[in-house]
Amino acid sequence: MTAAISVEDVSASYGAKMALEHVSLDVPRGTSIALLGPNGAGKTTLINILCTLRRPDGGRASVAGVDVVSQPTRARQSIGVVFQDSSLDDRLSAWENLDFHGLVYGMAPKERRARSAAVLELVELQDWRDEIVRSFSGGMRRRLEIARALLHEPEILFLDEPTVGLDAQTRQRIWQYLDQLRRERELTVLTTTHYIEEVEGADMVCVIDHGKIIVQGSPDELKARYGMRWLHVVPKDPVAGKAILARYPEAKPLGTHALALPANDDAVADAFLTEFRDSLAEIRFQPPTLESVFLSLTGRQLRDQADGQRDAERAAGKRGGRR
Amino acid sequence: MSRPIVLLRGVYGVWLREIMRATRDRGQMIGGVSRPLIWLLILGVGLNPYFRGEVFGEVRYVIPYTYLQFLFPAVIVLNIMYTSIQFAVSVIWDREFGFLREVLVSPMPRSLILLGKVLGGSTVAMLHGALVLILARFADVTLSIEQMAMALGLMFVLAFGLTSFGVILAGRVRSFEGFGVFSNTIILPLYFTSSSVFPLDPALTRTQTATAYPEWLVFMVQVNPITYAVDALRGILIGFNQFPPIYGPAVIFGMAIIFFALALVDFSRS
Repeated sequence: MTAAISVEDVSASYGAKMALEHVSLDVPRGTSIALLGPNGAGKTTLINILCTLRRPDGGRASVAGVDVVSQPTRARQSIGVVFQDSSLDDRLSAWENLDFHGLVYGMAPKERRARSAAVLELVELQDWRDEIVRSFSGGMRRRLEIARALLHEPEILFLDEPTVGLDAQTRQRIWQYLDQLRRERELTVLTTTHYIEEVEGADMVCVIDHGKIIVQGSPDELKARYGMRWLHVVPKDPVAGKAILARYPEAKPLGTHALALPANDDAVADAFLTEFRDSLAEIRFQPPTLESVFLSLTGRQLRDQADGQRDAERAAGKRGGRR
Repeated sequence: MSRPIVLLRGVYGVWLREIMRATRDRGQMIGGVSRPLIWLLILGVGLNPYFRGEVFGEVRYVIPYTYLQFLFPAVIVLNIMYTSIQFAVSVIWDREFGFLREVLVSPMPRSLILLGKVLGGSTVAMLHGALVLILARFADVTLSIEQMAMALGLMFVLAFGLTSFGVILAGRVRSFEGFGVFSNTIILPLYFTSSSVFPLDPALTRTQTATAYPEWLVFMVQVNPITYAVDALRGILIGFNQFPPIYGPAVIFGMAIIFFALALVDFSRS
């Protein structure tokens, strides 16, 4: 069986800036994979290549066994895409947006009606079917877009930052739909995100930074391999704090009082506790998170200010220039 | 499912969306109705008594039509021009607000996406032109069914060419703000130099025309393709041609083919 998504040695650049450098990736059918990386890491470029909007400068990519460069039209038939920015027509109603999509994908009238009703129900928008999209909230738009991307029953669904700018509740709801879909049908889902907490549910995580895939594997694998477990402690008094630091120089101060101790090994934790049990005010285990995995792999936080700034500039440039 | 039906559905979908958007755009509708009213009611009625040369004694030019009749076909062309070229806004809109990507990742070939879009835009533009036809009786123009059919046919082809031209413009304009000014600087000069509001006298020789009008103006009228579009519609609607009757349809069809081809090149590249 061919992989749902196959990327082989793909490179892409914008002028002198390399957006992707020799990226290779294989995603089996029915898998959910999350591309995790800061803004500007090359996630969107990879999605654009996979959904035939951009040609790679080198390498090969295929979706559902169809090469995206040589047979873009066939490749498009088997994918559904939810873009980072809304691509709905906000002067049309929800139903009209879906009907348009069905027409453009060549679906017969009966099939269009049945599928439109089905996907609207899936995202719980059936009561809004005749409302003009302009009146929709951000979360409703996003749900409608997901519904639309699923209308023609694609094998692969691409979601580029599907939950950016949405509140926690809506984010959770959207992930629920996607999980449900994956369970019900053998849908391959590729998501990009920089919300680390959203990646935990994915089968596969692919950490990407500066146009390169740094590591890939299941969330648990990554955590086991690269994550660190920390012991967060608050000493009773400064004297105790000094004593701990003297004994464990690798401990890192957190804030004014607290300390973080790398404690991957239970024995280390036990030894520490036996020694300092009585001089601690507070103690807590911090299990490995993907955030810490990312931190230890790239040496930086996922969401830092500089990236946000750069992203805003790029968005402004995109509106001004032709892409 | 056979492939042609699938593709036709796509073209229909894109076309239908343009029609639906146009019917929901009040501003465009108001413009489409008010423009002919202003031109015909104010300019047309106002200049009507001064049109015939004999009014001034020295009979330089007599055409057996009133100014309203003379202006009427030109106002149709004006309405089509505005709507067609404003269509570029819809193209810019799609590009800027991301909707374009929704169609670009669909299995529809780019050429058919463009065809659907241009057909939609031309249908709307033709209908705006047809709005003027409602005023025919007011302008003393009587029309037979055949005249109407021929006029509508030519209007559609003209709209198709101009809409494609709008798409070409859209590829070169970045902002909505810029486009408003831009479109006016294109539409109005083209309109005024299309022999729409004043006739070139076919009875005069070249030198005589040049004494009545400065040579540069005559030149501009003659190289302006809209001149021939207006002339073609005059031929059909009031039976008056300033140029050989074949020129009009030839220019209209020529524009449609050339502009669509250019738009296609632009659109496939983006």
